[in-house]
Amino acid sequence: MNQIEIEHLNKNYGSLQALHDISLDIPVGAFVALVGPSGCGKSTLLRTIAGLETITSGTIRVAGEVVNDKAPRERDLAMVFQSYALYPHMTVEQNMSYSLRLRRRPKAEIDERVGEAARILGLEKLLKRRPKQLSGGQRQRVAMGRAIVRKPKVFLFDEPLSNLDAALRVQMRSEIRKLHKNLGATSVYVTHDQIEAMTMADLIVVLHDGRIEQIGRPLDLYRRPANRFVAGFIGSPAMNFVPAEVTADGRTIAIGTGTLLKIPRAQEPGRKVLAGLRPEHLRLDGSGERLTATVDIIEGTGSMTFIEARIGSDLLNVAYAGTYETEAGAPLTLGIASDDIYLFDPETGRAL
Amino acid sequence: MLQSGLVKYLRDGKGFEGTLIVAAVLYLLVFAAFPLIYTVVMSFQEVDMFTLGTLVRPFAGLTNYTDLFHRPEFAPIVWNTMIFVTLSIAFQLTIGFALALFFLQDFPGSTYVRGLFLAGWILPALVVGAVWRWIFAGDFGVLNYALQSLGLIDGQIYWLSDPAYALYSVIIANIWLGIPFNMILLSVGLAGIPGDVYEAAEMDGANVIQRFLTITLPMMGPTLGAVVALGVIFTLQQFDLVAALTQGGPANASNVAQYWSWQMSFQTYEISGGATVATMMIALVIVVAVIYVRSVQREQSF
Repeated sequence: MNQIEIEHLNKNYGSLQALHDISLDIPVGAFVALVGPSGCGKSTLLRTIAGLETITSGTIRVAGEVVNDKAPRERDLAMVFQSYALYPHMTVEQNMSYSLRLRRRPKAEIDERVGEAARILGLEKLLKRRPKQLSGGQRQRVAMGRAIVRKPKVFLFDEPLSNLDAALRVQMRSEIRKLHKNLGATSVYVTHDQIEAMTMADLIVVLHDGRIEQIGRPLDLYRRPANRFVAGFIGSPAMNFVPAEVTADGRTIAIGTGTLLKIPRAQEPGRKVLAGLRPEHLRLDGSGERLTATVDIIEGTGSMTFIEARIGSDLLNVAYAGTYETEAGAPLTLGIASDDIYLFDPETGRAL
Repeated sequence: MLQSGLVKYLRDGKGFEGTLIVAAVLYLLVFAAFPLIYTVVMSFQEVDMFTLGTLVRPFAGLTNYTDLFHRPEFAPIVWNTMIFVTLSIAFQLTIGFALALFFLQDFPGSTYVRGLFLAGWILPALVVGAVWRWIFAGDFGVLNYALQSLGLIDGQIYWLSDPAYALYSVIIANIWLGIPFNMILLSVGLAGIPGDVYEAAEMDGANVIQRFLTITLPMMGPTLGAVVALGVIFTLQQFDLVAALTQGGPANASNVAQYWSWQMSFQTYEISGGATVATMMIALVIVVAVIYVRSVQREQSF
């Protein structure tokens, strides 16, 4: 069963079309990440689900019911804002109990639910404080608490961690994930950070220029990107793209100054393609398909070594797990498994 | 050598800051503190035409105050002043708030129309008084004409010379004069409430009235306090309109404390009486000013 169903949704701002024909089913209890670069429409899509933005055409259903014309407060969705949007004149406790007080729930129930949320999030000692007296991480928790006490059908997260420092972001990432496991409510999570999406989501929706590029489980997107955009967006460091040409037998491609690489599936001979090579798939022992390059830049972090290598006029980023010592200008023999070579149409960007 | 050193000290050194402070303090001492203290002192002295030129006059204790309280016009004028302040502020604030909320809605030309509202505020109060005198005129005034055309009244109302209406006419003109100021200050306060707080409240289930009562009003509390305090201070010094419209008449029917103080000081030369009224108003304004300062501090605490 689906918690949220979106069909052929379009959203225009005047002549600018922000969302193009979005269709998306979100199963009950799923953790779905909407991911894409800034301006791709991911926040707009979340806000149309919330009801904070009207839609130009299409249908949005929540729990089977069309909500197109319903006000946000009639949709029973809770949202965590990027800025947290806490009520500055209320204490932490009042912030969290606000929605229950509006619904005129009995005092005992309000206290119990706020107490429970505070316990889950470790906010018990801060209940009487105002948002101004809290740190960024604590404010973030209050924003989550405000959503939790409502026990809503769906949680909507709009880049909730982007204002936190790196360490706290990693910690909150797993906390949100744990919370989702315990509460089991459907969650839609907007982020521009593909690592956040990969680590947290059951299902990732990659958006670009207001269109859905691909929907899939995190590792499916990594292993089988539908197009060049998804291939470049998912994975860190990003995939290398090298112009290439399919040779006469259709089983190999030629890159750079004529290096031949065997490709997983035969292609039309003579066809121009874009070869995609993930930095972590390039091996330094030269096993598999072999490429000869020279080292441009080398950066070691101890656990990882990043090398920028040059093949003819093409640059290749290599990520090697471990330490490797060499110097700029030194020759480098790289290898890659034939199955790890991705091919894309240079015009349409579609995976071949 | 010494001279250029002094110039350098004044221009580049601490002397520049010192000079600015001394200038400001001197200005305040001469033009604010001295008249204020002098007024308070006079309220405890016997002042008449013969002692006007000296500073040292017979000490009168509280006689000026007790005399004032026993005047037959004291109670009506205090009452008028209370009505004047209360009604002026009540209507300036509610209409100003409503307009501020209205102009917060994003409609074409909203900023221009809001700008036009300020036109009333930059007019001198004497000019506003002159205009309202014409509007209120009994025989040819446009207000009577409008009310008669609408069939609301039969005869003419003598707005400024009928004791039943005079005070309220001044109040209406004063409300008109004060609305733009209230609107602008409240607009600034409203603009300071982040939009996503409203969105969060909407997601939490608040309808438009609940959002106004639980978000807008409490978050505007400090601004409202500041605007009311400033309103009380401005209304208590609203002299020009009374002078232009009714001169406190007929028979003190529209007289208010600030105008009465002036009348005694400069028309009937009961200078100690005028100073006594002024001193009591100073005390009141100080109380209000403290409330204002507190309010502004609370505003910053959010």
